[in-house]
Amino acid sequence: MKAPRVGIIGIGQSQFKARRSDANYPELVREAVTLAMGDSGRSLDEIEAVVYSLAPDALLGIGNAERLGVDAVGARNKRFMRINTGGSTGISSLAAAHSHIAAGACELVLVAGADKVGECGDSQTILNKIWDPTYERSLPLGTITMLAMSAIRYMHKYGMTQEDMARIVVKNRAHAALNPNAHLRAPTSIDEVMHSRMIAWPIKLFDACPQSSGGCAMVLASEDYIRRNGLEAVWITGVGHSSESYYIGDRMGIGYSADHADAQALGEACSRAYKMAGVTDPVRQIDTAELYSPFSNTEFHAIEAAGLAPLGQSPRMLREEGCFQIGGRNPVNPSGGVLCANAIAVTAMVRVAEAALQVWGRAGAHQVKGAQRAIASGNGGDHQFFGAMVVEA
Amino acid sequence: MELMTRTEKWNITYQHALGETASWFFAQIRDHQQIYGRRDPKSGRVLVPPRAFSDETLEATREWVAVGPEGSIECFTIVYEAFNNLPDPPYAFGYVLLKGADTAIGGFFRGLDLHDAAAAAARLAVGTPVITRFAEHRTGDVLDFWFELAP
Amino acid sequence: MGSRTEVGVIGSAVFAPRDPGRMSLEEALHAVTKHALHDAGIGIDDIDGIVVAANDQLDGRAISIMAASGSVGGVGRDILSTPSGSEHAFVLASLRVRSGMYRTQLVVSWSPLEVDSISETQRLSNDPYYHRALPLDDLSSHALQANALEAKVPGLRAAAVQVTVTNRRHGALAYPEYAPAPREAVLIAGGKMLRWPITDAMVSQPAFAAVALVLASDEWISGRGNCKTAWVHGLGWATETAYLGDRDLSRLPSLQAAAAQAYQEAGVDAQAPKFDLAEVADATPYQELVALEGLGLCPRAQWVDAAQRDAFGRDGPTPTNLSGGALSFNPVFCTGLMRIAEAANQTRGCAGAHQLPGVKTAVAHGASGFAMQYNTVVVFGQHSRETTQ
Repeated sequence: MKAPRVGIIGIGQSQFKARRSDANYPELVREAVTLAMGDSGRSLDEIEAVVYSLAPDALLGIGNAERLGVDAVGARNKRFMRINTGGSTGISSLAAAHSHIAAGACELVLVAGADKVGECGDSQTILNKIWDPTYERSLPLGTITMLAMSAIRYMHKYGMTQEDMARIVVKNRAHAALNPNAHLRAPTSIDEVMHSRMIAWPIKLFDACPQSSGGCAMVLASEDYIRRNGLEAVWITGVGHSSESYYIGDRMGIGYSADHADAQALGEACSRAYKMAGVTDPVRQIDTAELYSPFSNTEFHAIEAAGLAPLGQSPRMLREEGCFQIGGRNPVNPSGGVLCANAIAVTAMVRVAEAALQVWGRAGAHQVKGAQRAIASGNGGDHQFFGAMVVEA
Repeated sequence: MELMTRTEKWNITYQHALGETASWFFAQIRDHQQIYGRRDPKSGRVLVPPRAFSDETLEATREWVAVGPEGSIECFTIVYEAFNNLPDPPYAFGYVLLKGADTAIGGFFRGLDLHDAAAAAARLAVGTPVITRFAEHRTGDVLDFWFELAP
Repeated sequence: MGSRTEVGVIGSAVFAPRDPGRMSLEEALHAVTKHALHDAGIGIDDIDGIVVAANDQLDGRAISIMAASGSVGGVGRDILSTPSGSEHAFVLASLRVRSGMYRTQLVVSWSPLEVDSISETQRLSNDPYYHRALPLDDLSSHALQANALEAKVPGLRAAAVQVTVTNRRHGALAYPEYAPAPREAVLIAGGKMLRWPITDAMVSQPAFAAVALVLASDEWISGRGNCKTAWVHGLGWATETAYLGDRDLSRLPSLQAAAAQAYQEAGVDAQAPKFDLAEVADATPYQELVALEGLGLCPRAQWVDAAQRDAFGRDGPTPTNLSGGALSFNPVFCTGLMRIAEAANQTRGCAGAHQLPGVKTAVAHGASGFAMQYNTVVVFGQHSRETTQ
């Protein structure tokens, strides 16, 4: 039985900044909700269910902080649940909302959340606590070091250089300069990236995402509801999730089924989403991609996992063929991506929001001309959980 | 317009049960300076650090296998930035495939000069042979051992 | 449009070792997963997706799904997490099967005892803006709710004591090794006051457990044959607002909303619902009463009388919490999923020593958060809705 199409009828996102001292956490959520509801033209009363997007509580400093968000999302006496899959939370929340509608339980669902990463003191301290206390908590693991190690393996396997990584930063900052919602919008150069301070070899300051504060919300509706009310919409036609082993050390050595250099489970998630959407040739059929990548090096294996380049080839394709830029073949992260704005609880939702704006023709200065079909992805855990969505006009 | 803030600290302590497999592993390190892995019967992989079951097959592991002390670097990083509650930089750590193991275990790399990042990175390249060193005073923790470049 | 996909529970397991300190949390989750799959008569390869629920602060892991994922078969699979409540994991898994995109789902929730202060972890869910400085944990919130109810219902305390007696009697049959709390009315009434009006005998000490359920679609079940199934006839879930001061703690409109959703879907008459048994939230006996009211099974005007007549006992007209409820066995975070599992097992005829003979329909209710902020209702039936229509 084929699942019904689920439509996106409203999108709202903050202008992401380091700190939002003017708004407390529920107020930030409300801001995104107001934008999304306004965009949809529907009233909050009509919403039948809310899926709340919130990654680790500790980053906000409030346990089960979604409880405080109930009024911000107008969910009193309504269906309400919260999703947490780490960095992929935003896309997982949309997938959960998609199930609400595809199951025929609801016709109109709101997905919303916000983050104030810039306020938590030191996100890497908390992100060190995601590691298993049995074996790995004593090591200074964090998301930066974990993905620096992925860069090392990718370099070893495919010959990627730090200049290749810098080229991704230059590309995404140029895109972000055209996106008023992005946090880091200043264009940069390979030279500037190469001279930025080393954090964890080979990742330098400019290779890393910022800690952003802000919210995002989206309104999803059934095809029936959209038709009855004569609404404009874009469509989620493919959804897929998959995961890798939690143990990074198992993604290397001998006899591994996935290499920490690559993003195999992301590839599985994209394949599942493509299959559902009937996409058989991503290079030709995907007009643009918003791929979750918090560090420059990870964008390469994400591009390959999305089927937009053969394994290990994307650095060369960016360098020699100008692929993956707006104006080039298969533009990736026309919004600037996670490298330019990262409010963890919602970042993966923003990927879908941006993909939706693209196929809707509403992406403004960072519009990819003629985009009709896009893929969005989210990553969570220690490069462990992956979600993918295909969005079409 | 006066904008206020409130400071909150989280102070929670946990006693995490390690279970028999991890407990035996740490006891061997503490008492015998020996690292062990456990074999997943379905894939044949010797998992290091050991687990009672394989998360890929969900089958119970069997057979303790002594591994190391030689090994090779599977990946590394060198940290130059200070983070709260983490060690003072610079320090290098990563994952090592010990002899006899099929998966890599995390640990610090010590005994090399880290100040020239590119030079240090070249010395820690993937595939570099290393040797496991054990602390004189061990408590049964991953910090009881570390890796140094093989002489 | 074709006929709607039905969802059935085909397997379940509760893993509650005598000495949880002997196993790591991951090993316990692996055990409950294997037991649930075995109960369903399937292997992990038959599972299309997983939904888990846990609390990061209780677990001591900043993203609780991470280390747990491998234990429950998450590698290579679609796994999501609903930390808002263990009941929500069941809801999402049901929706996923109903959507037609997944033939099966595994649901797992757990509640460890590794933290030095469960109360402190609960207190951290207070907003830092106004309420963090207060000694407001789950128990305090339940006490405030009990207070509000006592003010509205004369004689409620005696009814609360009686509900506790009944549930402890049930617990002694269902989980004798895990239900050490007092059973006699005089002990329960005379217990040490913890948070007025809740005495230590009116609640149960936190226990460790992991709970798992296997769900499947009707198409998949009919292909297998031979599954002892509890069919989901109706599902409803809703939330109160967070600030306790914004609520009338003597009422629970979100439970009424959730029950209305579930009953409408199940074709149950909301004015006169009738089930063979109910499994409802009972972190305190006051919760059980307000839950029964919200489900339309006992209005508050009848609470005192019904409790006195032992109406909620095994042999009464409204058998409730034959498992003993959280009042007997309290794995704090996953009690909601336990209520759902218990109701499902009764419907499947797999409840063991506390099985009520001839169960055809059952209602489950789970609540999470301060003073029952989230409410979830599941109506189970022995036959799929297609065959009863």
